[in-house]
Order: sequence, then structure tokens, then C-alpha cells
Amino acid sequence: MSELESLQAGDADVGNTPGLRNGVVIDDTFAEAFPMKATRVLITAHNETWARHAAVSMTGFATSVIACGCEAGIERTLVVDETPDGRPGVAVLVFAMSGKELAKQVERRVGQCVLTCPTTAIYAGLAEGEPIALGRNLRFFGDGWQISKMIDGVRYWRVPVMDGEFVAQESTPVVKAVGGGNLLLLARDTEAALAGAEAAVEAMRAVPGVIMPFPGGVVRSGSKIGSKYASLMASTNEAFCPALTPLVRHSELDADTRCVMEIVIDGLTEADVSAAMRAGIEAIIGRGAAAGVTRISAGNYGGKLGPFHFHLHKLLGGERAA
Amino acid sequence: MSATRGWSLRLRARPDFRVDLGALQPATLARMTAADIAGIEVRHGNEMLALGELFDVAAVASENPGLRLEGDLSRFDAIGQGMDGGVLRIDGAVGDRLGLSMRAGEIRVLGRAGALAGCEMAGGLIEIDGDAGDFAGGALPGSMDGMRGGTLVVHGDVGARCADRMRRGTLIIRGDAGDFLASRMVAGTVALAGKAGAHCGYGMRRGTLVFAGTPPAAPPTFVSTHHDIVVFWRLLRRNLAYHGGPFAALPARAPRRLVGDLAADGKGEWLLPE
Repeated sequence: MSELESLQAGDADVGNTPGLRNGVVIDDTFAEAFPMKATRVLITAHNETWARHAAVSMTGFATSVIACGCEAGIERTLVVDETPDGRPGVAVLVFAMSGKELAKQVERRVGQCVLTCPTTAIYAGLAEGEPIALGRNLRFFGDGWQISKMIDGVRYWRVPVMDGEFVAQESTPVVKAVGGGNLLLLARDTEAALAGAEAAVEAMRAVPGVIMPFPGGVVRSGSKIGSKYASLMASTNEAFCPALTPLVRHSELDADTRCVMEIVIDGLTEADVSAAMRAGIEAIIGRGAAAGVTRISAGNYGGKLGPFHFHLHKLLGGERAA
Repeated sequence: MSATRGWSLRLRARPDFRVDLGALQPATLARMTAADIAGIEVRHGNEMLALGELFDVAAVASENPGLRLEGDLSRFDAIGQGMDGGVLRIDGAVGDRLGLSMRAGEIRVLGRAGALAGCEMAGGLIEIDGDAGDFAGGALPGSMDGMRGGTLVVHGDVGARCADRMRRGTLIIRGDAGDFLASRMVAGTVALAGKAGAHCGYGMRRGTLVFAGTPPAAPPTFVSTHHDIVVFWRLLRRNLAYHGGPFAALPARAPRRLVGDLAADGKGEWLLPE
């Protein structure tokens, strides 16, 4: 009998334990996350559509630090009362493994995706932290016609462009952050896995301070560290690949699990990641096992690599099993 | 918050000659006794005079290192010179060089100020309820830069050469300005509610002049630009609105913009809300 079957068979006894909620098995495991450096920038524009165009472009090809240099995503939409210039906007979070790499990525992405986008302006979205350049170097695009302006102790750059001026705050603070929180959703088929993942991501997007950097917030190519090929630093996580269930030495899946989706979470703080993971788990639990996601697990490396451990049972208010 | 010791200095009589009060710093005085303060020597004309011969010294409770000066101090110069913190309040008029080169703290004058108020100040806040004389926020003779930071608010009128060579900071004028307002201005922001005198913006290189009231006729060395500056305007307008009065009612739509002085660097701007 599989772990899933044994848990579900014990219905009355385990129905209220952290291990089984509304028929969904919650693995007694944890997600292992890593320290990262992060910043939040606020992009405003003439209307939300153009702010979002810039934000989508800026956060493109930013799913994983493995090959993208950074992980970035749209945190949320901002109403006019929340932006420095009183226009509609979008908050974007960018995460990297070092402050130096983050500075490089922010400058490139803002320069190519925000500076270029009609009517946009960009501001720092955090109050405190080590500053990195935002408009400080992009100002040179103005070829000498740029104007510096100090307002309320904050320096802005006004760069002449063809639709008027590109306004950019001088710098944006960088803070220590947490990257790599994750949930693995094990489902009976693709349809159910997608629907569950979408519901979880929607719930997690309501949590401030986090992004889910993969397409639609979901990744289907969960990875493990290393590979049989020496040149690869990561490769497919065969323990969660349904195609390999009967083939590999150790599989986490049973015959009824035909599709697994992962949601990766980066957050400004450990508490933010916890809140997002909890929201995602509760969304799946709320749908129940009948909706097709029958089990929730998480990825870790035995606790040896990342200092942040998010135990699924603890997130649900229970104590971690020994 | 525990109360810190502050001091009140009440003027006994108007002195015969001008007095230099540049040595008085609220933060320094907060650590001294009344006797020590009364013994501070200040320059009075060509001689040195003990402060106690000019003022009655009394301790007052204050949240911050504070100094309150009472009386007509129009013959007292350099009040708050080089100030680096604390609060200074003057219940009356003051002489020249108020807050000269101050870096932090707050100065509030309930009367008028003489020449060179806020001259070369680099930080902090100076608020003058009455008028200010010539070269407010300007530069000392021979100096390359005038006001370098902070905020100077004049509720009355200012004299000639206000903001001369100003490089950074915000200068708010609720009344009228004399001739050569913002002459040779290098950067920063000047907002004027009343009328400006002749030769406004003469030799202006960079910086921003906002006319909340009637703007002067633009000289031929200033030209109009027609692009959208609504983003910058919204940032600046919100900052100016904090100072109330006519600045609180600045329209949300972007103002007309002139740039100049083309005889200098030509990157200064006049903003004319309509």
C-alpha cells in the first residue's frame, strides 16, 4: 500500500492531522530555500496597460538564476494612491544571488525594457537597504541633456526621450531575501494538476512580498542538483517524473500520480515565503483531493544547502513528525 | 521622550553696534550651564562682550536641543551660522547671515531677516515669517555656490539676488521677489507665489523656477518647450503643496515650460502653471 493509500485509508483517524487535509496528503517534509538579494521597483505609466507592458518585458527570461542571472516577477498592481507620481503602476521584485549581479540585472532590464517603454517612469519600492543604481547610470542615455532633480531628499533623473521625459529615481535599496521556497503538487492527471496549480498561484499572488518567477507561476521541470553529465549543474528530478516511476531506483510517485507541478516562491522575508506557501497549500486543500491534486510535497536537498526550511506541517499549524 | 535642556535668551537692550552670534549653537548650549552661557564672549563692534551683558539667560524644557532668542535682534548677525542640529527660534527680527552654511536643524524667525539669509546653507530648514533681505539662499561674495541643500521658506518678500548661484535645495517665497531672482542659478528649486522683479533668471544654468502667481515676462534668452512633463510635475507639485498657501492649489495638469538662460548653459527651466 502506498503512503497515499495508507493515509487515505485511515480516514477517521488522520482526517484532522497535518498529514491529511480534505483528502489531500501533506508530506512530512520541507522546502529548502536560500538567501538571495532582492529589490522592489515601482513602474508607473500613463495607464496600467503600459506599466504592465514594461513590467512583463522587464521580468521576461527571469525564471531561474541557473541561467537567467536573476529571478523576477510582478508582485502586484498599484493604484494611483500608491505610486510616487500618482499614476497607475506595477510593483516588480527582482532577486539574484549577489548584490553585484542584482545591480547588473536591474540596470540592463530597466534600460532595455522600462526606459524604452512609452510613458513609463521607475522608482524604488523599498525604504531601506544598500542602494544600487536605478537611474544613476541610465541617465547617460540623455547625452548631456539629462536633468537631475532632488525632491524631498530623493534624487531623480529626467532623461529626454521622444515622448517627453523618462523619470527614474537615482537608486533602489537592496535587502537580504529568501529564494527557492517551493511546493510540489502531485495530481492524477495534467488537467487536475494545472487547475490546482493555477488556483494555488492565484492565492499566493495575494500575499505581499513574493513572486512566483516561472511561467504562470508554475514550473513543470523541477530539478535536482547535478547530473550524470559533468557540465550540467542541474538536471531533471527523476523521483517526481511520472515517466520514470517504474524505472528509477527511488520514485516519490505511485501509479495513480501522472502529473506533478512545482511552484517556486521567492520572497523578501522568510515570513513572506511562509505566508505564500501556506496560502498555496490551503488553496489546494480547499479544493480537496476530489479536484485531482491528491498530495503536496516539497523539494529539498536534505537540509544541507539552504538555511531556510519550510516544513509543510508547521505551515499548517501542526508539529513536524519526528 | 525625555526632555532635553533648552535655553531662552531675552534681549535686555538694543546694542550700540552689530553683534556676531555665530558662536551660539543649540546643541552646544544644551550641554552648558547658565553661567557658562552668560560668559560666552561675542563680538560687539570692535570689542568682545559677554553674552550675559546682552541677554537674560533662562533654562526651558525642550524635546530637542533648543535655543529661543527674544527681542529685536536686527543688529545680531550670523544667528544659526553653521548649525548642525537642534531647534532655534527667534521671536523678532534678525540681522544678516541667518543660518549661514547651516547643515541641519531648524530655524524659525517670527520677524524679518537681513541680507544673506540661508546663504550657502547645505541642509536643515529655515522658516522666516517676515521678509528677507538681499541674497537670500545666495552665495557669499567670491563663492561659486549659493544654497547647497535644505529648505528655506520666506513668508514675506525677498530682496534682490535671491537664490544667486543656488546649487541644490528648495527655496519657497510666499511674497514677492526683488530683481535678479535665481541669477546664475546652478540647480535646485525656487517657488515664487508673488511677483518677480527685473532680470529674473539672469544667467540661469540649470534648476527650476516655479511661478505660482503672476509670472514675469520671459526674456528673449528663454524659449518654450512643448513636451509632456507631467511625471516630473506631479513629483514636484506634491512636494510644493506641503508648503501650503498658493502652492497647495497648483493644478495637476502639467504647466507651461520655458528653458534658459540660453546665454548660459540653457538647461534651467521656468514652470508656469496655467
